[in-house]
This record gives sequence, structure tokens and C-alpha cells, in this order.
Amino acid sequence: MACTVSVVTSSGTTLSACDDGVVARAVAAAHADEAAAAETELYRRFAPRVRMFGLKHLSDRAAADDLAQQVMLVVITRLRMGEVREPDQIGSFVLGTSRMMVVGMKRGQRRRAAIFARFDADDEAIDPANDLALDGRRIAPCLAGLRERERTILLLTYYADKSAPEIAAAIGATAGAVRVGRHRALASMRECIEARRAS
Amino acid sequence: MSATSTACPAFGELADYWTSDITPADAEQIETHIFDCDRCARMLAEADRLRAGIGALARAGNIQAFVTDAVLNRLARDGVRVRYYALGPGESVRCAVWSDDDVLVTRLRGNFAGVESVDAEMRLESGEEWAHTTDIPVPEGATELVMALPAAIVRTAPKIPMRLTLRASDPARSEQTLAEYVFDHQGSIERSPNSNDRG
Repeated sequence: MACTVSVVTSSGTTLSACDDGVVARAVAAAHADEAAAAETELYRRFAPRVRMFGLKHLSDRAAADDLAQQVMLVVITRLRMGEVREPDQIGSFVLGTSRMMVVGMKRGQRRRAAIFARFDADDEAIDPANDLALDGRRIAPCLAGLRERERTILLLTYYADKSAPEIAAAIGATAGAVRVGRHRALASMRECIEARRAS
Repeated sequence: MSATSTACPAFGELADYWTSDITPADAEQIETHIFDCDRCARMLAEADRLRAGIGALARAGNIQAFVTDAVLNRLARDGVRVRYYALGPGESVRCAVWSDDDVLVTRLRGNFAGVESVDAEMRLESGEEWAHTTDIPVPEGATELVMALPAAIVRTAPKIPMRLTLRASDPARSEQTLAEYVFDHQGSIERSPNSNDRG
């Protein structure tokens, strides 16, 4: 069955096989009562990407969640109102909206930081344990299986937040060798996790 | 579920997005790509789970690695309880882990001149190997290596002396012992309820 707007609006079951543009046009074309499946699919696809974008630029998982909800609300509203000129380029539209909104949220973060500083407030507590800890337990054997140099590079990169040149200075290597070591370590980790999942 | 005009980056290159090494231009390129490519968006999420998992492991004190002061500083900031020992070549230490320790750190002092990496093996009194690791990076001019072990693992170690031997990883020099240290392991110690001493 071809993936067209008419098919999508009459049968939500084909949505997951459709291109992003088709889903976006389905959101734009559908009546409100028919739009739920198309909107859900659009949200399912793009909210995680916006969340990652937010995590990178806001460095806060809760703020990234907020950004994802706000961006998707704006995107869906503008699709419904026919304000997205090129639904086939919906990815670019979502990214552009994310970039605009993250600027506003960063401004808000700065304002909050200034208020905290004024009142000498402490930082908020560390996030409570969540499913990331589960991932931690799952990856422990794979991290333990790496060569010592690679394990050190991953810890310095992802736990101590050090750059390749800083790590290079700390372990007596070049920044290029650190990057290569990191890529190799990540590939090994990924392979190990996949193998453990499959077994 | 969308066509993308640019080639998919390798997993390691995508994972660079989550490091401080990435330039704004490269980050933008990855963002443009993942908002148009479902497969890479999933890989980027996988890389995020991996780095979050590594962080969660470290915060839980589940670090078995040779580390640097940057990692120790981060552990301190995260409130991880670390017990320190320091040993010179040929020295022995009576050591134990307290019930509330998370990580045991030993500064292994020695002369590592001309050595780029070392291998380490820990043996029981009987000669049986308890642990070993290879390719521990040694920066130029280093006078110590910092070994971190999860307290949970040390608690399971037998209460007998254990010998740690460091050798150069370079096969041409691997027969040469660089340093030996003896850990006279006293086991796990319960803290008295009235004690505030961190030992």
C-alpha cells in the first residue's frame, strides 16, 4: 500500500512505514479527530531527537524533556494551521524550532542562575536514580573488558568531562590517539552490549 | 523513516557529539543529520545511554580502573566515599575497607622513566592470580599510578597478603619488574555506631 496522506488519514496503521514528510502532511491535512495517530507518530519520531538536542545545549535532562514537549506542541500546532510551507522538510523545521526555543530557555536558565546566586541558594540535588543506573549495571562487564587505556579515556571523557587534549596530557598520548582510542572503545562497548543482549 | 542527503557517520563520530571536543560547526552538522535520519538519531541516543551509564557506574563507586586526579575530583564532587592508600616500590600496607567506603584508591609510586604503559597483576600468597590488567597509560615524568577499585569487590577479596606487580607493556621489557607492592588485606571493617572517624 502506497504511503499517501489519504491512506494515512484513513488508516493509522501504515504510519510507521511512512516518510517523515508524509506523516507531517497527515498531521496538516487530518481533521482533529483523525489526527491523533499522525500526531502520535510525529511525536514518537521527533521528541527523542529534540530531547537529545536539548540535553546537549541545556545540559539538564528535565529541561531537555520540557524543550521536547514545547517544540512538538509548536510544530504540531503550526502544521495544523498550515504554517509549515514544506512538510517534506519537517526535520529541518523541527530543528529550527528547537534552536529558537533553546535560546529562550538558556536565557531563562541564566535568569534562574542569577536569582539563585543572589539568594545564595545551593544547587539542586542530583537526579534521583532512574533507568540510567540500570544501563550502568548492564554496561559494567563491557567496561571491565576494555583495555586499561581505553577505560581510562572513557572515564575521563564521559565522567570527568575532559577534552581530548586534556586527556592526552593526562595519559601521555596525542589528542588524535585519544580520539581514536575513544572511538575504538565505544565500538567495543557497543558490540559487547549487543552480544550480551543477544545471549 | 526518511531519506537523508548526507552519509551516516560512524558510531564513534556520532558519540563525539556528547564530548567537549566537538566544534559548534560539527555539532550543527550532526544535528542537521539526525533530524533527518531516524537510524542515526537512534545511534545518538544509544551513545547518550552509554555515557550516562558510565557516569552512573562511577557515581555508584563501581570503578575498577587506573584513573587520574580529574576522576578523583569528580568522585569527591559527587559525594562518593573514597579511602586512600599510598605505597612506594617494595612497600607493604595493612589495608581494609570500611563498611561505608565506596571506592578504594591506591597511589602506586615508582620510577616509570622511559615507560609508556604498564601491565599489572595481583596475585594471592599462593601465587594464584586474583586480577590483571594491561596497557595502563603512563604519562612522561609520572612518579605514581592511581588505581581505583570498587569497595564492593575488595570486600570479597580473601583476608591474606596480595602482591601487585607492575611490568612494562613493551614486550622487549616485559620480563623486567618495575615495582611490587604488598596489600596485607584485613577484610571489611564495620564502623562503630558512635564513631565519626573516616579512618
